[in-house]
Amino acid sequence: MNKINAFLKEFKTGLGLFGQNIALFVNSFLLFVVYLTGVGFTWIFAKLVGKCFLDIKHEKTNTYWDDLNLKTKPEKEYYRQF
Amino acid sequence: MYVLGISCFYHDSSACLLKDGKIVAAVEEERFSRKKHDNSFPINAINYCLDSQKINIDKIDHIGFYEKPFLKFERILYQHLEMFPLSLKTFVASMPSWLNEKIRVVKIIKKQLKYKGDVMFIEHHMAHAASSFLVCPFEKAAILTVDGVGEWATTTYGLGNKSNIHLMKEIKFPHSLGLLYSTITAYLGFSVNNSEYKVMGLSPYGQMNKEKNKYYRKLQKVIDIKEDGSYKLDMSYFTYHYKDRMPSKKLCDLLEGPIYKRDSKVTQKHKDIAAAVQLITEDTIMKMLTHLYNETKCQNLVMAGGVALNSVCNGKILKNTPFKKIWIQPNASDGGTSIGVACYIYNTIFKKKRNYIMTNAFLGPEYSDKETKDFLDKNKIKYTSFKDEKDLVKTTAKLIYDNNVIGWFRGRMEWGPRALGSRSILSDPTNPNMQEILNSKVKHREKFRPFAPVVCEDDALEYFDCDKPVPEPTDYMLMVYPVFKKWHKKIPSVTHVDGSGRLQTIRRSQNELYYDVIKEFGKHSKIPILINTSFNIRGEPIVCTPFDAYKCMMGTGIDYLVMNKYLVKREDNPQDMWDCEKYARD
Ligand SMILES: [Fe+2]
Repeated sequence: MNKINAFLKEFKTGLGLFGQNIALFVNSFLLFVVYLTGVGFTWIFAKLVGKCFLDIKHEKTNTYWDDLNLKTKPEKEYYRQF
Repeated sequence: MYVLGISCFYHDSSACLLKDGKIVAAVEEERFSRKKHDNSFPINAINYCLDSQKINIDKIDHIGFYEKPFLKFERILYQHLEMFPLSLKTFVASMPSWLNEKIRVVKIIKKQLKYKGDVMFIEHHMAHAASSFLVCPFEKAAILTVDGVGEWATTTYGLGNKSNIHLMKEIKFPHSLGLLYSTITAYLGFSVNNSEYKVMGLSPYGQMNKEKNKYYRKLQKVIDIKEDGSYKLDMSYFTYHYKDRMPSKKLCDLLEGPIYKRDSKVTQKHKDIAAAVQLITEDTIMKMLTHLYNETKCQNLVMAGGVALNSVCNGKILKNTPFKKIWIQPNASDGGTSIGVACYIYNTIFKKKRNYIMTNAFLGPEYSDKETKDFLDKNKIKYTSFKDEKDLVKTTAKLIYDNNVIGWFRGRMEWGPRALGSRSILSDPTNPNMQEILNSKVKHREKFRPFAPVVCEDDALEYFDCDKPVPEPTDYMLMVYPVFKKWHKKIPSVTHVDGSGRLQTIRRSQNELYYDVIKEFGKHSKIPILINTSFNIRGEPIVCTPFDAYKCMMGTGIDYLVMNKYLVKREDNPQDMWDCEKYARD
């Protein structure tokens, strides 16, 4: 009986690990598809309209400080995650 | 009113509990989980905060989080959009944690804590600014925050007045002084978000003369610094905006070689590059601060963010800028933002007058004499008891003078990355071999890193060329100052190659017995200074419980452990079962 229990326990652990690996594979594949389609198409569209998402061009100006002007806001603003 | 501040999911998760505006508990999760820089949800830290006040989650009026997750997620998506298709690997690797936890913060907090209220979110650099300004001794101060990156900002400056903070300007990702420092740290083969302080410690061995350091001139091509301290990086030298590796091939070519492997031998080139990035950092900070002073005309300065832990730079600020006073919170990096968010909610959002000034860093768990005795008895550990506090002070000072290495475990654990006299290893700095002894017995750390001295605040100016009066951040080991030349040979283990020391000053009001041991040691050695290094095995967080402390002593070469009113001698106890040195890593 003990042996059967031990076997079942090991089997369950093995199955769990197998499931995790499958989930990892499926997730990675899905993310790959999302990247190619979602990010890829947006990138093409952005290139066509000349949109830049990050300031990586080396353009010199007098100062690199940007205005922020962050002050206390009304309480409800702080319940937002953006 | 109880306010709980939380910081997590990046590095150094932590929690802080505020009661009617006063910090009653603050601690990092790593101390409980025993995983250095643990970034997981700080459930143990939160439980400690609640237990310390004997309350449950229903008593919490507000919970605050240290950033705006959707704004950060927007930045991450923008990075992938800009860098398509180079960012594929990072996208696949990072998205699961974003989708499972980072943008589900509210759900996680409510589920983990069974919390029924709403969660408040404060911008990351505002949380940094608040973490220092709202607990500082100044009513009004200029504020500078510099870190790797928050949501978009990497550097901000502004002005704090009473309970309000106005952050006026920012520099945005990908331009980041913190990430420049981390990139060089990675290039030199050290771990990012952990070993930046090693680069700082290595820098004095390099060529600190700007004219003669060719890497300084080379790194000037990487960053364009304006007279007002604003800067922009040439991103062709970096890959951190789309890869997990930070320096680009172009940066490797500029620095004449590939990225160093972990633990590779430290060469003169390492040292010169470390010096170069330290010099660039100091140049930028000094220019920023001069500009900040001109903008605010306020003589008090408050700093926060990971770069504010650069104690070498901090020690030069008052001499090189118009500021007269400086304050930095002991946990200036991301771990400290849980304090910022809690104080911001109480003082700024709910407009309550500031009624708390941080005067020490002892905000973590403590263990009573009874708890300590129970632990020792239960584990059949041999120990003796001190007769009284006088006996404790005299015995400990004599043991240190007799060249023993002492584990010192008393009172509430320190807040922040430094051991400041609650969880410290103490030894004699006048012994020329002590650096080697400590390294062979306990620390096994790089030879280029000296140990830190602790001195009573009223003795500091006798040994160290500090600003006058000694700035309070020195209490938290945040300022490096020159050791006066006549003492270099007398305290060699704590004098760096350039004659400086990263000292801790201690005031008796902060920790009486620690202060008294230093003074008592001075009666023996004629120099009232001790070596104070953190009580941990290399690569592990600082010890938290009596068990951690005992395990650390038995697994290393610490000779005695002073644990509250008890003294444990290593030799008296069996050592085989406590060999923790094999777990040491970095
Ligand atoms: Fe930060």
